[in-house]
Amino acid sequence: MKVPLSWLKEFVQIDEDIETLCKKMVDIGLEIEEVCYLGDNVTNVKVCQITDIKQHPNADRLLCCKVDVGGEIIPIVTNDHNVKVGNKVPVALHNAHLANGLHITKGKMRGEESYGMFCGAEELGITDDWYPVGNNEGVLILSDSAVVGDDIRKEVGLDDYVLDVAVTANRQDCNSVLGLAREVAVALGKRCKQPDIDFAENSVATSDLVDVEIAAPDICKGYYMQGLTDVVVERSPRWLTSRLAKVGLHGINSLVDITNYVLFEIGQPMHAFDYADITDKKIIVRRAFDGEKITPLDGKEYTLNNDDLVIADNNRAVGLAGIMGGANSGIKTQTKCVLFESATFARRNIRLTGHRLGLRSDSSARFEKGIETYTNNLGLSRALHLAQQLGCGKVTAGRICNGKVEQSKQIEFSQKRITDLLGITIPENRIVSILQSLNIDTVINEGIVKCTVPPYRDDISRDCDIIEELIRVYGYDNIKGTLMEKSRITCGGKTENDKRCDKLKTILTGLRYNECVFYPFGGKSLFDKASLTPVDESKYIRIKNPIGEELSLMNLSLLPNMLQCVALNTARGNKNLRLFEMGKAYIADSLPLRDLPYEQPRLSVCATDVSFDEFRNCVLQTVHSVADGIKLARSSQQILHPGIAADIFADGVCVGYFGKLHPQIAVNFDIESECYIAEIYLDLLFGKARGEIKYKPFSKYPSVARDFAFLCDEQVAAQDILDEFLQLPLVESAALFDEYRSEQLGVGKKSLAISVVFCDSTKTLQDGDIEKQSGKALKSVAEKYGAVLR
Amino acid sequence: MDQTVELLMVFKQELEQCGSLQQLQDLRVKYLGKVGEVTNLLKGIKDLPADVRPVFGAKINSLRSELETLLADKSSTLKAKEMQLRLQNEQTDISLNSVADWGALHPITLIENKICEIMVSMGFEVLSGPEIETDYYNFKALNIPEDHPARDMQDTFYITDNILLRTQTSAMQARLMEKKKPPIKMICPGKVFRSDNDASHSPVFHQIEGLVVDKHITLCDLKGTLEYIASQLFDSKTKVRFRPSFFPFTEPSVEVDLTCSNCGGKGCSLCKGTGWIEVLGAGMVNPFVLDNCGIDSAKYNGFAFGMGVERLAMIKYGIPDIRLFYENDQRFIKQFGK
Repeated sequence: MKVPLSWLKEFVQIDEDIETLCKKMVDIGLEIEEVCYLGDNVTNVKVCQITDIKQHPNADRLLCCKVDVGGEIIPIVTNDHNVKVGNKVPVALHNAHLANGLHITKGKMRGEESYGMFCGAEELGITDDWYPVGNNEGVLILSDSAVVGDDIRKEVGLDDYVLDVAVTANRQDCNSVLGLAREVAVALGKRCKQPDIDFAENSVATSDLVDVEIAAPDICKGYYMQGLTDVVVERSPRWLTSRLAKVGLHGINSLVDITNYVLFEIGQPMHAFDYADITDKKIIVRRAFDGEKITPLDGKEYTLNNDDLVIADNNRAVGLAGIMGGANSGIKTQTKCVLFESATFARRNIRLTGHRLGLRSDSSARFEKGIETYTNNLGLSRALHLAQQLGCGKVTAGRICNGKVEQSKQIEFSQKRITDLLGITIPENRIVSILQSLNIDTVINEGIVKCTVPPYRDDISRDCDIIEELIRVYGYDNIKGTLMEKSRITCGGKTENDKRCDKLKTILTGLRYNECVFYPFGGKSLFDKASLTPVDESKYIRIKNPIGEELSLMNLSLLPNMLQCVALNTARGNKNLRLFEMGKAYIADSLPLRDLPYEQPRLSVCATDVSFDEFRNCVLQTVHSVADGIKLARSSQQILHPGIAADIFADGVCVGYFGKLHPQIAVNFDIESECYIAEIYLDLLFGKARGEIKYKPFSKYPSVARDFAFLCDEQVAAQDILDEFLQLPLVESAALFDEYRSEQLGVGKKSLAISVVFCDSTKTLQDGDIEKQSGKALKSVAEKYGAVLR
Repeated sequence: MDQTVELLMVFKQELEQCGSLQQLQDLRVKYLGKVGEVTNLLKGIKDLPADVRPVFGAKINSLRSELETLLADKSSTLKAKEMQLRLQNEQTDISLNSVADWGALHPITLIENKICEIMVSMGFEVLSGPEIETDYYNFKALNIPEDHPARDMQDTFYITDNILLRTQTSAMQARLMEKKKPPIKMICPGKVFRSDNDASHSPVFHQIEGLVVDKHITLCDLKGTLEYIASQLFDSKTKVRFRPSFFPFTEPSVEVDLTCSNCGGKGCSLCKGTGWIEVLGAGMVNPFVLDNCGIDSAKYNGFAFGMGVERLAMIKYGIPDIRLFYENDQRFIKQFGK
């Protein structure tokens, strides 16, 4: 909300400098987004009077003037010939800056000294709305009352500030000069004047002119009308147009300007209809017919539907309610009779219509923030007062009122509640004086606070609202920190699964992996890249109003975003990537969504420039830190290289997969380095989490290691051979330590060398014991897998 | 000359020549071995007259023990020399000082972890809620009905008319209060979503919601709690300032500023000269929200706060651009692994 300081001063006496004023406004909750001094772009320009004009000796088109700038006579050379001796004009002196960016210095023009330059309206950045600029050509001739030597900004109205105030969504009453003035008065401890709303009525009864029917009371809560006869449409006075200019509006004509003025000053959007264009003396507030067409004042035709609200007469729509009047009923120079409309339309309805049609106005912006029926009457009266003051016409008798008038709210609560909520005690007399300053009539009797809330404070409905009003004026600096001394002790902590996540993160960072955070959504083009065949979009949860297609589908896997990140990193020359993310896959039971989807917690891990063994170890270390009984099996996940792909099982449940990125998908992402990826389903993994660690006794006798080398077919899994040993009672561990292929071994053959550790808890093992044990394993390895000792 | 004296002289000369423990061992065998010089000498005893034998025997023994002593001394000297030689030869270039790096947690996680640690120490539970949320929990239960102006404050991503991506972790408030009765002390970290995307906004960002509900909870308790968090997250001199604000689910509502961690409140470019940095929104839980969740607002008060994790990380670590968090350049993340 932009408000000129001078306009605020109409209602509140403000003696404070601008910084103090802003600080006090911020303190009570009016955030100041920007303070703009209107004269910032016009410096060192003064009012001067021309005392002498001579033709320039060396240039036909130049004049040499002598001007009085307040006690000093200086020479000015000009090429503007509209100046006369005795004129008061603006002069830009040495080092002056002008609104059009000019920087003025003194110098000689064709040999004649000139100490500056006369200015026109454009150089000062003003229009006829600000100051009478005549034909707007040449030097601006100031009024005779201008004081010679004064700063020009004072004379033309630029000596003013415009504050841009961020009004919180609950305080729609502050979206007006009057509303802000009420708050400023509270902040400064001053009184706020009421706007003048008196006027005299003529003998024409409003009700004889028009009958109003509200056919859509659900979206029109109030509708007021009163008119003017004997209308004269003229230019508005400058005190009015200059105020509108400061908030960015041009003067149009007195009637339209009044509606704009009331919009900004009172916060009530108004509309003025030319009565001659209303047929059958009838105004109907109704929903538009499907396909109904209207051409508002912007001149474009819009097609409406039944969700839109129009103002109509018996024949046609004459306005798009709350947004813009119809071109068919606007104010014209020959308008003789006018009806002012002051209404409350439902904010949501205005917003939806405005949004759908792509049509917004200052009025609709205000309606979208919310208008109270309280301001309907106030705004209408203010408009009629101004119309009378400006001589626009004679006010018709009586007002057409449709809609309920809001009553003042009564709120009662215990005074103790204030201390209970705030933790501090505010003296009783302060409570009363603060609330009174807010126009909240307050009486405290035997510990009971009784408040009457003014009708424009729609945001106040219960005790805590009143207490907030109190403390924001009393000052939040009075709140002193305490640490819940009177509340009960609670047991805090993270959930078990959160702790497991923390543990996994600790392990992964220890393994030199770096944590990433991605958006949990992507687009079809990304998901297609991470797949061998185009993905089926209908399986994804889709955002209805995404920022773009590439951010429209919720993840079903963490890997596409991870791969995109690998692509970005490798494109930037980053090598040895070690990345992981903990995120979610969003899995719907059915689409479109009827219930909330399952958000499956997942872990993705990715590394480049790494060996398969190294990556496998990392994945297994991570998984095994949580659960036992981890087994691997060949995986058929499409995203993986079919020959280098494993599913991970924990206690028989598949908890994820890992392997080498499919070379085709690597090509899709332009990833040239070796890239290994894993995705773990954390919910399933945590479901298999091991319980408390239990001590197991270990042997006091030394363990003995034996190595075996086998020749076997390529398809034999080393783990199967190890498992044959591991199930023997005396085997402590078994591991592969060499694997090779050669011509001598033959095609499709490989050699596997394993090391097995034997141990007995009752004695030192002898060779015989070990041979007996390993013999069994060797036999079954040969029988089951055709692996023979070399 | 006496045979023993002669032998000793020769031994000493040979001992002098000895340069290694191996040569010393050879020398020992030559003189004291089973067929060594001393043994050979002793063999001659049988050719001596009986009365001289004991004297000769004693001489040999004393020679033997002298040789032993000399050998032991020499052995020590040689060992010391060998150790010195070994130490001289075993040198390595220790100048390389590049540190093998750890992996790093993302700065968002670092802030979340720090806040969780602080809050858990104060008895807060750490919970998480769904990111895809119903309109009810995200808005209606928080006193934001359909045509409330506050809906305009947050541009919402919708999945259906009633299901959306949560715009605030506050959505967890009602979920928790429906299940759990006071005393409640909870924080909820997590992702939130708003359809903003420009240099200073990301459509996805992280919040931590805090909620306390019990008897005798006051605005002073909110301030004290935030002061404690600020002192732990930044430094003990950090001050907390409240400014009036508006959130539909708290009343009174405040914006919370901290003294600028960069300049300590003197005013700098980070705080735009004000000495204060806005970090979070907070307030006393609106009785509407309590009553709506079945908690008697006549008996219980509460406070709630919601802080932006990226904002805290940007302030704490001096990160200039929110987009860096989601780009995940490994060089960015690695910086936080120390």
